[in-house]
Amino acid sequence: MDCQCCNKKPARIRICDVEENSIEDQVNVCPDCFNLVKRYMFEMTKPLQSTADIVREVQTLLNPAETGLAKLPEPGGIAPVKSSESVPACPECGITLSEFRARGRFGCPHDYEVFADHLDPLFERIHDVQPARHEGRLPESSGGEEIVTKQHKLAELRKKLEAAVAEEAYELAAKLRDEIVELEGQPKAKERS
Amino acid sequence: MGDIPNSFEHFPNILGEWLKGTGPESDIVISTRLRFARNVKGFPFTGRASNPQRRDVLQLVESALKEVHLDRSVVTLELQNTPEIKRDVLVERHLISRELANGEGPRGVAFGRGEMLSIMINEEDHLRLQWIKSGFDVDRAYAALCKVDRALERVLPYATSQRYGYLTACPTNVGTGMRASVMVHLPALTLKENIDQVFKAAQRMNHAVRGLYGEGTRAFGDMYQISNQTTLGRTEESIVDAIKAIVPKIIEFERQRRGQLYTEERSLVEDKVLRSLALLRSARRLNVQEMMSHLSMLRLGIDLGIITDVPAAVVNELFILGQPSHLQESEGQTLPPAERDTLRAELMRSRLAAGTN
Repeated sequence: MDCQCCNKKPARIRICDVEENSIEDQVNVCPDCFNLVKRYMFEMTKPLQSTADIVREVQTLLNPAETGLAKLPEPGGIAPVKSSESVPACPECGITLSEFRARGRFGCPHDYEVFADHLDPLFERIHDVQPARHEGRLPESSGGEEIVTKQHKLAELRKKLEAAVAEEAYELAAKLRDEIVELEGQPKAKERS
Repeated sequence: MGDIPNSFEHFPNILGEWLKGTGPESDIVISTRLRFARNVKGFPFTGRASNPQRRDVLQLVESALKEVHLDRSVVTLELQNTPEIKRDVLVERHLISRELANGEGPRGVAFGRGEMLSIMINEEDHLRLQWIKSGFDVDRAYAALCKVDRALERVLPYATSQRYGYLTACPTNVGTGMRASVMVHLPALTLKENIDQVFKAAQRMNHAVRGLYGEGTRAFGDMYQISNQTTLGRTEESIVDAIKAIVPKIIEFERQRRGQLYTEERSLVEDKVLRSLALLRSARRLNVQEMMSHLSMLRLGIDLGIITDVPAAVVNELFILGQPSHLQESEGQTLPPAERDTLRAELMRSRLAAGTN
């Protein structure tokens, strides 16, 4: 039997909804989909009610064209899910919305801006709050920018150096190395001597 | 900046303040723990950061800690080259998480005197600031942690947004990035099979109940952690207030059941407690679960006045010292389980022998 979630891999795990000692509903899934389903079962503050609901939620993370959403019985019928493919990947860290949904982790702080339109419903459910807006404190001032800028520059230079070496562009590599040494040697603006 | 110690020279030999067995409600509450999840602006979260980027974050935090002069005793320990057994010791002491211990790449932990402050670097978030206090003391732990956080934010730019607050790798921590976690000892509620009621009541109020070592761990020794589940859309103060409202109710419930046990089933509870004491004083082999369940009975016995010659602090310490990595660390080598069980039994006998305390 194929997994009722991805409809691709063989199903190995049966998830049953039990009510008063009788099995109300059951879904058979593969181990990969089970891992995703598990997250929805245990990590949400307000978990979805039935396994079928959870499986439908998980299917939205997978490519809808391949999984064939219609194959799962839908008594109430749900609106077709907007494909997350139309949302561009984060330009800073390269993560896509479906990747975020599948892993449950952001790639970088910038993702919160890039995926903003898709986050509120998720946050509202996780944090049981509406609207999903921060109410607590924020840093009074953000100093220390200088140190970070320098570290960024260094990281970028090191990346370029790696690429240059890989391409055997040794002249460029030597230049980059000198730049790195120079930057590393500079005393930090905020550090005590 | 090559001065991050790799050795354990700076590793504190005495156990943390939180094991003292003092502080408010310490007959039931072992410790209060507050943590803030923070990330450094401009870097990808740890899970997506390259090793050079992780190294940069580690160094940035390290120099920020030096700059703010929190306390001269704050020591940063690089974990990448720290042997596994030492990392496990830190986990058993609640200074770092299992995830950080088993993680990869440049990462570290900074901790202060008495092990009240610990700062995990490059866990799931760049920083996890944590303050542990003995007993039920949310206000003080919160105030102490805020002080550290405010000092750090002046020299280290955090990733924040007006809309979502402190930005974290996992959406379950966004907003305040704050988790208030109270470790409670609930032997009477466990004995009386009321623990499920506590779980459900806490859940209804958006709080989770977990085992001693966090998510997914079993509640050995009748120890449970109660913590807030939600971090967005409420202020830090309201998270503090919520846990301050919930925990006393659980404490009261446990006390009531203890009283009931002692008045209505006195011989039963005395029998359980004294059997546990006799067993710990005589056994030649003990596994962790056995040790923890008997130590749990000892704590209950001390509180009910059945045991008078063992201080609570000794029992609290044994909970940690009897853990696998602590035993192996004290022997300086890895040991097979059977040998650990023998060593554990020896430790219990020597620390609990009549007349030693």
